[in-house]
Amino acid sequence: MIENRRIKTSRWWNKRKIWFVFLCLLFLIIIRASKTLLYRDIYYLISKPFWPGEFQKEIILNSFDKELKIKLIQLEKDNARLRSLLSLQNSSNEKKITSAVISRNNGSWWKQLILNKGSRDGVEKGDAVVGPGGLLGVIDDVSYLTSSVKLLTSFESKVGVWVQRNNLSGLLIGIGSDSPQLIFYSKDVDVNIGDHVLSSPASTVLPPNIPIGIITYLDIESKPITTAKVQLIAKPHAIDWVEILKLENK
Amino acid sequence: MNKYSRRFYSLISFVIIPIMFFWNPSWFSLMRITPYWPLFWILPWALLYGPLSAVIISFCIGIILDSLINDIYTQIPGLMICGFWFGTIGLSQKNGLKNYQYGLIASIGTFICGIFYFIQVIFNSTINNSYSLLFPYAIKNIFAQIFLTGLLAPVLSSWLYIYFKRNNISKLTKRF
Repeated sequence: MIENRRIKTSRWWNKRKIWFVFLCLLFLIIIRASKTLLYRDIYYLISKPFWPGEFQKEIILNSFDKELKIKLIQLEKDNARLRSLLSLQNSSNEKKITSAVISRNNGSWWKQLILNKGSRDGVEKGDAVVGPGGLLGVIDDVSYLTSSVKLLTSFESKVGVWVQRNNLSGLLIGIGSDSPQLIFYSKDVDVNIGDHVLSSPASTVLPPNIPIGIITYLDIESKPITTAKVQLIAKPHAIDWVEILKLENK
Repeated sequence: MNKYSRRFYSLISFVIIPIMFFWNPSWFSLMRITPYWPLFWILPWALLYGPLSAVIISFCIGIILDSLINDIYTQIPGLMICGFWFGTIGLSQKNGLKNYQYGLIASIGTFICGIFYFIQVIFNSTINNSYSLLFPYAIKNIFAQIFLTGLLAPVLSSWLYIYFKRNNISKLTKRF
């Protein structure tokens, strides 16, 4: 009886060590067969807390911003130098006046903003007003403490612009709605929906190359001239702070 | 003292119109279009004090509102016609109006003022050859204003009517 028991315990499948080795081998075979995919996933979970986080992302973005700013400054300098050679209008960085919007009339018939800076702060009639996104309008009237802005959507607004892609000039006319009308004084013009519209560099009224809007609709068929609708980038109904740009040659 | 304070309060209620015009609260707006504020004030005034007084006060309000907006168009003709019409209604309805009548009359008045303004815009835009694009915007603008003015007039105009009547400020306007 005792002998019989010894024989049973001494059989190989009753040995734990053998099973352990077998399982280890099986594990290695699975890893080999999965070509370390499993191992990589485990590494993913273990290393996750030590990944480069938001801080490093910010450092990279800041560096990228600085690089772009340096390039932009250099390009603006070149641009100003070339424009001065051609005796064209320019805006001055030193003459920017930041102002808050204290009254807003841009929904009904009337299209104007009232700003909290007036002649006391050096604001003059005809100065350009820009907000986040681009040009909003032109200073129309100045009192001692306040100034009113005639928006680009106003019925009386007329601004010289050009299309960025091919430098084609046109006239932007306010028609009351949020999308002013752009008129090109020729029939065959190379303009596409989605083209960007900037203030004209040939303008003697506005600083050059201020972003204004994007062409959203073209009317080529119905008139002897080509007209387009421009969706403005700067939204006067949502802007609380603006910048007043003074012209250098004033 | 009481008499002077009443005059002072009536003057304040007049000043509210240009303030509302400047303030333009967005929570009263529909598609960013606000009601036509002056009619809320002119309507009860005209109902109480007759067409002549209303035409003169409409002219004054029109001058003030035109001075607030720096454009070539005027609101005076529309306001004066509305003032005269409201005044004639007031002559026939001595006991005031029902609430829904305030809304209806103010809506029609807004339509008249909107049309007068739009005619001026059209006349100017014909020169620029862009008048065809103005129609969709004008229709939206006029009808949004009609809706909002008609909606608020039963509250604001009837309240001002009671206020004017209670304060008995007709002595101020007897000369008209």
